Amino acid sequence: MKKKPVPVNLEITDNNAVKLASTGNAEAFSYLYEQNVKRIFNYIYYRIGSEQDAEDLTARVFHRAFGHIGSYEEKGVPFSAWLYRIAHNLIANWHRDNFRRREVSLEDQIDLPHLGDLPERMVERNQEQEMLLKAIRNLSPDRQQLILLKYLEDLSNAEIAIIMRRTEGAIKSLYHRSLISLREELEKIDKYNVLEK
Amino acid sequence: MIAGEANMTDGIESSGINHLWGLEDRLNHVLKPVTPDPVFVNSLKLKLSRTPSVFLEQSRKYDGLHAILIGLAAGLLGYWLYRKFSK
Repeated sequence: MKKKPVPVNLEITDNNAVKLASTGNAEAFSYLYEQNVKRIFNYIYYRIGSEQDAEDLTARVFHRAFGHIGSYEEKGVPFSAWLYRIAHNLIANWHRDNFRRREVSLEDQIDLPHLGDLPERMVERNQEQEMLLKAIRNLSPDRQQLILLKYLEDLSNAEIAIIMRRTEGAIKSLYHRSLISLREELEKIDKYNVLEK
Repeated sequence: MIAGEANMTDGIESSGINHLWGLEDRLNHVLKPVTPDPVFVNSLKLKLSRTPSVFLEQSRKYDGLHAILIGLAAGLLGYWLYRKFSK
């Protein structure tokens, strides 16, 4: 169904930005971009652990969203949920195409430029933090997504359920299992480190 | 409500699994939002504003097939040249 054009000089707000952007309003899309770029970058960065690739994938997320915004339909779901879903799919493709990169250790990424306050550049960074990030990246994609949405975005189970297309109860259960898996991963890494020494 | 319980309301509610609470605290401590490079953020915004509404992504779907076809063609050419010059 063809969408009705929206007046161009309408003030852009959270409520009308998606509608305006879907009719081709570039300012509305810029507004949505500014609202979401940091969170999408964060999500991707923590999932793959490389700033350069995170920038590349973030760009692809927004290019893809921009290319398909005309067919986007609001269904009471936050616009960010759509972006997270695109990011989630692109990350899966990235892992598939670059499976060797999974083995890149966090230590290899210390000297990345422009990181500012990125975790691996923080002076107070310690081995425990590295272990935790490594353990998170060893979890299944769904579990990583859940943990990152919960802790980076501070989203509730209900909000995460919308993004991940599950029930709130399922998210609660998955969260519990994710923490148990994470603890097991940490124990594995810890044992490996002890053996290495 | 005890300290640290507030952020557990959406997470682990059972008091019998306190051992996981320490993990939640660690996650809270480590997973801090990071700031993307402002140069990247601004340049992407500029690119998006200049990009036509239809964005063509390069498909990697058929990369493998292309490689096989090129290899096959090269093999056939080599075989044909070998047959031609060996006579």
